[in-house]
Parts: sequence; C-alpha cells; structure tokens
Amino acid sequence: MPGQLLDGFIRGLLYVAIALGLTIVFGMLRLVNFAHGAFYIIGAYVGLVVTEHVGLLAGIIAAPIAVALFAIAFDFALLRRFYDKEPTAQILVTFGVAIVVEETLRLIFTGTTRTYVVPAWVQGSLNLGFTQYPTYRIAFGLGVIVLVIAVWLFIQRTNYGLIVRAGVRDRTMVQLLGGNVRQASTVIFALGAALAGLVGAAASPIYSIDPGKGFEFLVPSFVVVVIGGLGSFWGAVLGGLLVGELQSLTTLFLPAASDLVIYVAMALVLLVKPSGLFGESEVIRG
Amino acid sequence: MKQVGFYGFTALGLLLFPFAIHPIGGYPGLATEILIVGIAAIGFNLLLGYAGLLSYGQAMFYGVGSYMALLTVQRFFPQWPSIWLSLLVAIVFVTVMALVIGLLTVRLYGIYFALLTLAFAQMFYFIVFQWKSLTRGDDGLQVITNATLQLGFTSIDLTRTFPDFELGPFGNLHDVHYWYAFAAIITLVVLAFMRALIRSQFGEILAAIRENEERSTFVGFDPLRYKVAAFTIAGMLTGLSGGLKGLYEASTGVDTLSIDMSGSFVIFAVVGGIKTLFGPLVGTGLIMYLQNVVSGNPVFGNGWRLIEGLIFVAVIVFLPGGLLGSFKKKRAHAALANAVRVSPVEGRP
Repeated sequence: MPGQLLDGFIRGLLYVAIALGLTIVFGMLRLVNFAHGAFYIIGAYVGLVVTEHVGLLAGIIAAPIAVALFAIAFDFALLRRFYDKEPTAQILVTFGVAIVVEETLRLIFTGTTRTYVVPAWVQGSLNLGFTQYPTYRIAFGLGVIVLVIAVWLFIQRTNYGLIVRAGVRDRTMVQLLGGNVRQASTVIFALGAALAGLVGAAASPIYSIDPGKGFEFLVPSFVVVVIGGLGSFWGAVLGGLLVGELQSLTTLFLPAASDLVIYVAMALVLLVKPSGLFGESEVIRG
Repeated sequence: MKQVGFYGFTALGLLLFPFAIHPIGGYPGLATEILIVGIAAIGFNLLLGYAGLLSYGQAMFYGVGSYMALLTVQRFFPQWPSIWLSLLVAIVFVTVMALVIGLLTVRLYGIYFALLTLAFAQMFYFIVFQWKSLTRGDDGLQVITNATLQLGFTSIDLTRTFPDFELGPFGNLHDVHYWYAFAAIITLVVLAFMRALIRSQFGEILAAIRENEERSTFVGFDPLRYKVAAFTIAGMLTGLSGGLKGLYEASTGVDTLSIDMSGSFVIFAVVGGIKTLFGPLVGTGLIMYLQNVVSGNPVFGNGWRLIEGLIFVAVIVFLPGGLLGSFKKKRAHAALANAVRVSPVEGRP
C-alpha cells in the first residue's frame, strides 16, 4: 500500500513535470500544444543516444537543450504563422508536427521499446523505513520537485516571468507597455519544450522509450492541466499529483477502471468548472 | 439542372472509382473502404467545417457503431441476420449517444470543446476495452456474418462479386464485390443529404453561428440547439460509417475508438478540404490510397504515417482550405474578378 502510494506519487510527479510545460505555454501563448508529447519523446531519444555514448548526466543535460532548439525552429518556421489564428488551427498544426516527429523517430530508431541503464550510484534501492524503494525513482522525484521550484522562481522573479504573468492576463496591454511579447512567447515555448525534453530523458530509465510514448503521456497530461486549470501553475502541480494517485489507487482497488477514472474526472471538471480547480474563469471563451 | 449535374457527376465518379484506382496500384476493396470511412469524414466536416467545432473524439461514434452492428448479428438478434437491422441498431444507438454527448459538450468552445470530446472518447475506449464479456477486449470481435441485404422479396449476399468481365488496365469487373455498390449508393445518399443540409436554412444558420455566435443569438437563434443538431447528425453519420465498417470487414477492434482514429478523421477532412462537400471524401481517398500504396513498398513501408503527417502539415500551412477548398477559393477569386470587371457596364460600383 505505501509502495503503491509512492508509485502514484512518482507517476504524479512525472505528469506534473510534463504538464508544467503544457500549462505555462498555454498561459502565455493560449496554445494547447499537441506536440508537447513529441518534445518529451525527442528528449527521451536524445537522452538515450547521449547516455549510451557519454553518460546519464550528459544525456539529461543534452536533452532539454536539443529539444529547446527544436522548439525554437518549430516556432520560427511554423507556429508563428498561427499565433493570430483560431485555436483549432493551432491544435491542428501542433498535432501534425507531433505525427511527423513520432514517425521520424520510428524510422530512425524503429518501434522497439528501449531503455537505458542508469549508473551504479543510482542503482539499487533505499530503505525508506516503511518500504524499500528504487534509488533512481527517488532521485527522479526529488529532481522534479527541484524543477517545479526553479520554474516557479523563474516566473516569479525574472523579467521574462513578469512578462509571462502579465501576458497571461492581458497580452495587448503588455505589448502596449513595450513588453516584447513575441520574444517572450518564443522563450516560454522553448522553456516548456525544454522541460518536456528534460523529463523525457530523466523518466525513460523508469518508463522506457518507444516512439508512441510521447503521445501516450501527453493525453494524461491534458487530463492534468484540465483538472488543475489550463494555464494555472499550481493547478498543474496539484492536478498531476491527483491524477497520479487516482490512477495508482484505482489500479490497486479496481484495476479495470484505472484508465477510465481519470477521463471521467476530466469530463466532470470540464462540465462543472471548465476553468479547472485552480484556473481563472475568464479564460473559458478563449 | 444543377441538381442533375450533381447527381450525374457524383454517380459517374462512384461508378468509375473502383476501376480508376486499379492502374495506380489500388484495388476495388480499397475503394469500398475509402467510401465507408469517407462517410465519417463527411460527418466530421459538418462539425469542423460548418459548425466550427473541432471534435477530437469522433472515433467513439465510429467504434461504437462498428461494435453495435456486429453485436446485433452475434448477440442481440442472431435469429435475424440482416444488414439493415444491424445498421439500424448501430445508427439509432450512436445517434442517441451523440445527442446526449452533444447536449453536454457544445456549451464549450474551441480547445475546451476539443478536450471534452477527447475525454468522452477515451471513456468509451476504456469501457469497450474493459467490457470483455461483451466486446472481447483487446481481441476485438470477429463475426461470421451471414447477414444479407433484404430487398423486397430477394436478399443479396454483398460478399458476392460481379460477373467476369475483362477491363484491360482497369482490372476486371469480377474483382468488384456487391459491397462496393452498396457503399457507393449509401455514399451518394449521404452526399445528397449533406448537400441539401448545407444549402438549407439550417446550414446557413450554422454558418452564421460559426462566424458570429453573439450576433446570431441577437437575431433570435439559439446557437446551442443548432450545434447539438449538427453534433448529433455528425455522430449519426459516423455511426453509420462504423456500422458499415464492422459489417464489411466482419470484424472490429478497440482501435476503432482510439485517439489515432479520431485524429485520422480530422486529417482526412482537413487535407481534402473542410467547408467543401467532396473534400472529406477526397482527403480520405488520398490518404488511405497513399497508406495502401506506401505500406506495400518495401523501402518506405514503415513511413506511410510520416507521409500522412507531412501532407497534413503542408496542407495546413500552404493550403489552409484543403485540396478542394483552395481550388474553390481560386475559382471564387476568379469569379469575383470577373464580377468587378463587368460591374461598370451594369452601372454598379
């Protein structure tokens, strides 16, 4: 039971880390990024290659950089044309890019499931008193917590963060006041992508890699950001933990319903309070 | 006259289709599949093209339709193996389902609507996946259908083929099953229905709501009612498509309800051209044809979905109206240019 709860917590932290990028990008760009899962999986494969040739830490550093560069290229080449279009057009273009990325990776790496070996210092397990738990999972969990705090500080304490927070409330006004919203948008988009890439590399020793994994994790991450409230920072954090535990506990007590239950929760939130548990209600008509 | 032109043109196209794809590497069975799936894409077009609703869950209607049609033969009414009855059960069930889900979902806009339809589709996916006693879960249903098509006094076995008749490079009439004729007739009816719907007052009000919902409310229309109606009709057509798929292949699986399937309907309609009558069918045909040809190729075999994605992105970026929509726009521009040129003669600005 405590092991199950901890599994749920770690899986929840994975969702948090993926949803964080999704939610800050939505907050800034009003974009539901269907390519966010593609960022995750690019990070995972970059992490795989670099880890096999150099080492795990190098892989975890290289992945977010590579994915951020990819995201900037994607933004300049395609996404900018869609900033002013209706949200459905933005969904379509990110969905298209997600397919292209997934299938390109499938061509390069084939569809087989891959995983990589972690270095000795994070192998094995730790005795937590109530249960033995794999060291790498604990390290991963702690890493995500540090990441959440770092991103929060970035948004709260830096100039970019200021533009982001203001841009969420009123884009036009920020532009009128001289804030470079376009540049900040690109930075935030790259940051969101880098987060996904980082998680992709860091989570792969736990959850393994195949080209479909990005989309597989993207869909529960939608559940997370919807429950927490699209664009809401702490909503994504609490939503992620909630969804992780919900899945974990239903797996324990009612395994047949473990996938169903999160979508029921998602639909209920959208029906009752579309802005989510922690979102601001003004954004609904966006 | 225009009416006759539409029916003549469409009927001729449907008549030639299974033979026209033969020299370019297709086969009549593929033509049947294209028409069947195309009906769902046509239904989706009513949502995205005319009502401006991006549903990301159409696969739930498609998949449930296919299961209902097969379960009718296998479980519900095994004593009456009839294509009509199976389709009727599938359509009625899916239509009611679409009505209920439509009532719940159309209040939301844009991405919230898309995400809610996605949530519902996932719910149905996992229900079908887990309800193993009825759906056999991951294995899917394989049904030995002896379902026939009753027509008055006779009944037709749709798996039979037409008589032997050599057509040179266009194959042999013998390769075409009665199934194709049935699918073609249904497609013709669906296209005629959509054409009438779009041109009716209903279609115009729907377009008005899409362009400016507030204004249409002020004029006195209740947008929700029209959107629910559009959602229900689209669901109904998708259920019909799914029912046909199940009966034609005599099998179905949980993949028919997957997000990938929902995404495919989006891709088919957008590539062919939303807001056009034939666009979704053309898009379905193009992508499914390429899938078939490419996946048979030993070199690019695994890459067909990459090609699908590349075409999709290229169309969104360079031809936002889709293949047919962009063509139509050019014609509209030409017509406009003509109108401007001739207008001084008539004394209008």
